[in-house]
Amino acid sequence: MSLIESIRFITPEIILLAGAIIILMFSLFVSNKNVLGVFALSAIVAASLYLPQSQKVEPVLFFNMLTNDSFSLFFKEIILFITGIIILISIGYEELKEKYIGEFFFLLLNGAIAMLLAVSSNNLLMIYLSIEMLSLISYILVAFLKNNTLSSEAALKYFLFGALSTGIMLYGISLVYGLFGTTDLAMISKAVSAGQINNLVSLILLVLILAGLCFKCSLVPFHMWAPDVYQGAPTAVTAFLSVGPKAVGFAVLLRIFSNNFFHLYINWVTLVMLISIFTMTIGNVIAISQTNIKRMLAYSSIAQAGYMLIGFVVGTAGGIEGVLYYIFAYTLMNLGAFGCVILVSNYLKSDAIEDYAGLYKKDPVTSFMLSIFLLSLTGVPPLAGFWGKFLVFNAAIQSKFILLAVVGVINSIVAAYYYMRIIKFMYLEEPKAKEIGPKSVPLQIALAIVTAGVLIAGLYVTPFLNWVKYSQSFF
Amino acid sequence: MVIQDYGIVGLFLVLGIAFAAAAFIVSWLLRPRDPNPVKNSTYECGEIVKGDSRVQFNVGYYLVALMFVIFDIEVLFLVPWIVIFRELGVVSYIEMMIFVAILVVGLIYAWKKGVFEWQ
Amino acid sequence: MIPESHFLILGAALFSIGVFGVFTRRNAIGILMSIELILNAANINLITFSKFSASPDGLGQIFALFVIAIAAASAVVGLCLVISIYRNSKTILVNKINLMKW
Repeated sequence: MSLIESIRFITPEIILLAGAIIILMFSLFVSNKNVLGVFALSAIVAASLYLPQSQKVEPVLFFNMLTNDSFSLFFKEIILFITGIIILISIGYEELKEKYIGEFFFLLLNGAIAMLLAVSSNNLLMIYLSIEMLSLISYILVAFLKNNTLSSEAALKYFLFGALSTGIMLYGISLVYGLFGTTDLAMISKAVSAGQINNLVSLILLVLILAGLCFKCSLVPFHMWAPDVYQGAPTAVTAFLSVGPKAVGFAVLLRIFSNNFFHLYINWVTLVMLISIFTMTIGNVIAISQTNIKRMLAYSSIAQAGYMLIGFVVGTAGGIEGVLYYIFAYTLMNLGAFGCVILVSNYLKSDAIEDYAGLYKKDPVTSFMLSIFLLSLTGVPPLAGFWGKFLVFNAAIQSKFILLAVVGVINSIVAAYYYMRIIKFMYLEEPKAKEIGPKSVPLQIALAIVTAGVLIAGLYVTPFLNWVKYSQSFF
Repeated sequence: MVIQDYGIVGLFLVLGIAFAAAAFIVSWLLRPRDPNPVKNSTYECGEIVKGDSRVQFNVGYYLVALMFVIFDIEVLFLVPWIVIFRELGVVSYIEMMIFVAILVVGLIYAWKKGVFEWQ
Repeated sequence: MIPESHFLILGAALFSIGVFGVFTRRNAIGILMSIELILNAANINLITFSKFSASPDGLGQIFALFVIAIAAASAVVGLCLVISIYRNSKTILVNKINLMKW
């Protein structure tokens, strides 16, 4: 397909870019900034209306730099949804200063572009560029409260970790280029299946590339940044980081490993299995002792990434479906949980778990929604999180990864303790004397959407399962 | 063969150092020695030096330097494009203009935020 | 011709020095410089492979150009973050930047 014809397939990215630039210029020359959020939201809506349809024959776009398969479409839909919800959340987030809100939306829309490109890249060069673009934007977003010491400390840590791990990934990519003479994933895949590669060499290459992706998905041993960054960043950014880059990381991981390097499955499966076990366990064990809810959710999100990785390790069609459904469910419930944290911190001015004591008596709606999200993260049926866990564990058992399934189930039980603790604080403890301020309407809309999503995806699971089944186009 | 190739690199290194050293040595041999306080100052016909050179610089320099880096890197993409511009045709011209236009947006932003003004 | 492996060894050495520097440096600017070393190690690899490949298509050189641009961008962002942390906590030694632990 020629260059001009390919442009049709990146219409959403073009719309987002134009929207972002207009917002930036608008925020420079006009002092009234209330309309910016609405404008950013409408850019997202327009972009999702122009999402390309998946086709029978996958088109070759931009010299096979990008692709347009049902797998990338699945992630594109999730990414646009995430960005939309984050915009709604950040309109109602008081800590983001009115003065810089234009820049915030500019960066957020650019982040969406980077993520859209990353999930549809079919070339290591493009993958590296889009992941690095996403990283640079996330560093700036984390440092957004520039007079806040925690925020800039978090950003520096995030930057140093991120630059190191993407540097290692780049080194791996350069070696892959040397070995295969190309960075095109389809051609690499052909060479791999022809089977002319030394196993040890390929393992080293895969480990180097895995390092960069582990960082994006906050998997052990590249998870140390997550708690600090989640705590220090503005909470709206935390919500974004906990779902957006993670979904992108998993998309790229699945595309590179399960699709193109699948012939080397036997080489990387043990390593990734160990990563999965350690990620689940470390995340859950440290989460128990946390006193700050943002930090606790950070460790919980590390653990959740470990569960998702189970499906990836299994590697069968069922496993991949499990990962995709889990990412979808996790997006809903984590966005919801952080949305509730923002709503509460707007009037409590605190993120400590003790301050949630007796929240039920003052704000029953928010505490009910937060409980739904926490129960869903635990994996209580019939909420969305349950089906995610069910699918990946089921796939693991069917492919005889009994150890992995057992560790996963034990971890889910451990995790129930710290999720339930917050619910206990909200419903059973005596309230502390703090007044409830006015609640922001856009934030409540976002929470209502996400709550509905968690309930519907849990209760009427069939259409979502079909969607996921349709989306994993690899096997 | 390898030795010979490294020999060329080594020769280049040695010649480079020797050239710089020779310039100093020759001028040291030829110059008249007639020191006086004015001649020994840092800038013989210029500003009188105030204090040490290791001082804190205004952060304004830093912002300008950042802008410089960005437009410096822009050239990195412009030069290869110019070299084969004739073969690429109109589409590449439009593409590159979009690239430059996005950078111009950044420039306008920086300008409006007062990066180029000295307080 | 200097053989390909010598360039790759140079790249590997730079990479190792960079990783070592990231883990041992206390100064945030020092870590930033070490990260630049890692990126340049990758650049050396890319250009070497591009030069010595059986069918030279220049892909490695193009990749290296992109990496240089990315390196500049991340240096700009990194230095800005260092300035921001210096304004807030008056230090850029990473072992002193420890408000958040565990």
